[in-house]
Amino acid sequence: MSSATMTSDLSSEMEVDAFRRLFPLRFHERHLQESIRPDARPLGKARDTSVALGAVASADGSALAKIGCTTMLAAIKMEVMTPTTESADEGCIAIDFHMPPICSPIVRPGRPAEAAPVISKHSGMINLKELSLVSGKAAWMAYLDIYCLDADGALFDAALLSAVAAFSHLQIPVVSLNDDGRVVVVSNEEGEKLEKEPVNKERRKLKLSSIPFSLTCVLHKNYILADPTAEEESVMETLLTVVLDSSFQLVSLYKPGGPVLAHTSVIQDSVALTRQRLKELQKILNEAVSDMEVD
Amino acid sequence: MAGKSGATPTTYSPSPTTQNKKRPPIFNDVDWVRPDGRGFHQCRPAFLRTGAVNSASGSAYAEFGNTKVIVSVFGPRESKKAMMYSDIGRLNCNVSYTTFATPVRGQGSDHKEFSSILHKALEGGIILDSFPKTTVDVFALVLESGGGDLPVVISCASLALADAGIMMYDLIASVSVSCLGKNLVIDPISEEESYQDGSLMITCMPSRNEVTQLTVTGEWSTPKIHEAMELCLDACSKLGKIMRSCLKEAASPVQE
Amino acid sequence: MEIDRADGRTPNQLRPLACSRGILNRAHGSANWSQGETKVLAAVYGPKAGTKKNENPEKACIEVIWKPKTGQIGKPEKEYEMILKRTLQSICLLSVNPNTTTSVIVQEPGYIPPPQALSCNTFFAGCQLSSYALLQVVNDDGALLPCAINAACAALVDAGIPLKNLAVAICCCLTDSGCVILDPNKLEEQKMKAFVYLVFPNSILSVLPEGSSQVGGEPVEYGIITSVTHGVMSVDDYLHCLQRGRAASAKLSDFLRRNLQSHSPGDLSKAG
Repeated sequence: MSSATMTSDLSSEMEVDAFRRLFPLRFHERHLQESIRPDARPLGKARDTSVALGAVASADGSALAKIGCTTMLAAIKMEVMTPTTESADEGCIAIDFHMPPICSPIVRPGRPAEAAPVISKHSGMINLKELSLVSGKAAWMAYLDIYCLDADGALFDAALLSAVAAFSHLQIPVVSLNDDGRVVVVSNEEGEKLEKEPVNKERRKLKLSSIPFSLTCVLHKNYILADPTAEEESVMETLLTVVLDSSFQLVSLYKPGGPVLAHTSVIQDSVALTRQRLKELQKILNEAVSDMEVD
Repeated sequence: MAGKSGATPTTYSPSPTTQNKKRPPIFNDVDWVRPDGRGFHQCRPAFLRTGAVNSASGSAYAEFGNTKVIVSVFGPRESKKAMMYSDIGRLNCNVSYTTFATPVRGQGSDHKEFSSILHKALEGGIILDSFPKTTVDVFALVLESGGGDLPVVISCASLALADAGIMMYDLIASVSVSCLGKNLVIDPISEEESYQDGSLMITCMPSRNEVTQLTVTGEWSTPKIHEAMELCLDACSKLGKIMRSCLKEAASPVQE
Repeated sequence: MEIDRADGRTPNQLRPLACSRGILNRAHGSANWSQGETKVLAAVYGPKAGTKKNENPEKACIEVIWKPKTGQIGKPEKEYEMILKRTLQSICLLSVNPNTTTSVIVQEPGYIPPPQALSCNTFFAGCQLSSYALLQVVNDDGALLPCAINAACAALVDAGIPLKNLAVAICCCLTDSGCVILDPNKLEEQKMKAFVYLVFPNSILSVLPEGSSQVGGEPVEYGIITSVTHGVMSVDDYLHCLQRGRAASAKLSDFLRRNLQSHSPGDLSKAG
């Protein structure tokens, strides 16, 4: 009795859930043969995505991004620092990615740490000169913290989306220099305090040039599955993340190992999928920003 | 190159939180109004929702004013460390804050004290015999701290436990009261907490009329404590009803 | 499209390669890999009984420890560790020794090679339970990660860990003018607009029926195991890098194969 025939016999009798747990790979391959996925998506389609700006009142800029069940909360806090002499009129951005134990039954620390370097690498998106206050004396340090609240696959995509959204929500507070040479926030009520010219005259937003968007795909045999769930990621191990910016330049093509090799055709296909996804995400982000402005 | 966090320069927050704040108003004054305009014995509007985290066995989100908390429950599952055999289940609690939870950027580290208080508050309400040899993990993350964090965490945790199907004697509701001069204010916000003379927190199981935890800090007189306890117990039973209706809502089939 | 390189190389020219294996006594396998001035030392311990954390009844576990030249391991090293681990996992036959751990240790060494061998040994003594890849970067003069991957791969062979195929890693750089240069040194790496680390499987020499070694019209060795990019480039530029990287990987692959063959008889003594 070969095991192959045994399992196929079983598959007709066994309950679907049991089959899914016992033979996860066969379960998914059966779906792939029919060009459908267990959650009824076609292979190249991403899950429903939403962005909400201003989720955290105590931060200067924040956003909550949801891709399917994967939830990321990003918040930016602005603090003041003394810039280094070599870049006297530039601010700085510090990014931390956190996976608190609430987000997943198996918190695998270190795994999504890849998010931080890629986002910080592309701070070409932000002109650091805009974060300057007093050349050589004071500049903004933007602390971006991303928390994963629910981990269900494609963590990087959700983290990047929430980070980008938080930056588009960020408003730099009005500040002025006080007598001790420290930078303090000017609150609106205390008008008489304005004898000193504010360094930063009005609440302003950062100009974002070429916003990056990403799409993670799972490669399995000849199939490319866009935006995998945690289950798909654990069953089929080869991940490929493409990051494109709004002018379709390649920001990152990240494939850390995995049993499936990426051939030229696969790369081209996944770049094409990312281009489509980029348009979707741009629309979602623009809607979130314009909703914000109406309020 | 940006974002080099290698040697992080020292930074400070420009918000004037640490500087000379307005002197606390005279609380003896009966006309004094709370910063958010509530009455002294009025709680903040509570928003509760179960099933916030899909990958957890059970979870809940709570929002009381500006205090926002997520609690996830995992298990009952295999005990992590090589522990001794135990007839009853174990409860493992952890409370942490996000770095942006407080007005001044924090470290986002675990809150050891709150973790142990949460453990003690929940322990009495859970039927530990129902999951021998295994552990239930309760993880709380305070997304934003707006005062009265601990009672919110405890109530939210009991809701998450119920969502996970962990057997409990009753839901556990928790409310705190601050003593400001002659006044008692229920469910204080951060600003009120910062100049309180004393605080009292009760964690109880409203339907059984049993208290699982009572903490009193600061300066209290006996009659004041009595008054505050009455106030808290009353609020707990009301909160318990809200929690119950939240669970019922989640359990009832969605009407299209 | 000519571009001058400081060291007088042509754009496609790699730096001189060198690889010596079996240099550490206590490790089960070790290799010193250098590309020009970039030198990495890798040591492999295992397969050994799995530690509780890495226990998996169906698969062998690979563990990578990155030892920087000095001080604590930072964020970029953590990322390198993870990429290296995933890359090695995909070339190892994990089902052969289930429930074991193989450790690869990579050392970023200083300029003087001999003493670090000693320090490695003392380090290794602490982690005898599992098979580690300890990579120590002796000297970083650009293309550090590809160099470390090559070193780890040679060390795995030296330790006799069963592999599906070898992996060869290469760094391609894109200049502002859009030219591609291979295997940059540190100075070139800093000046570049973007660069790409690519890892390819080596070409298979065994006799295979026609077509079985082709995937979608491309030979198997053209598929990418790992790709990591830095900086912004156009998609066409990336594909261009890919093409040039593939061509160069054949040379690297030949070098690795020759190097492994020349040593193999002596290795038998270490096989236990």
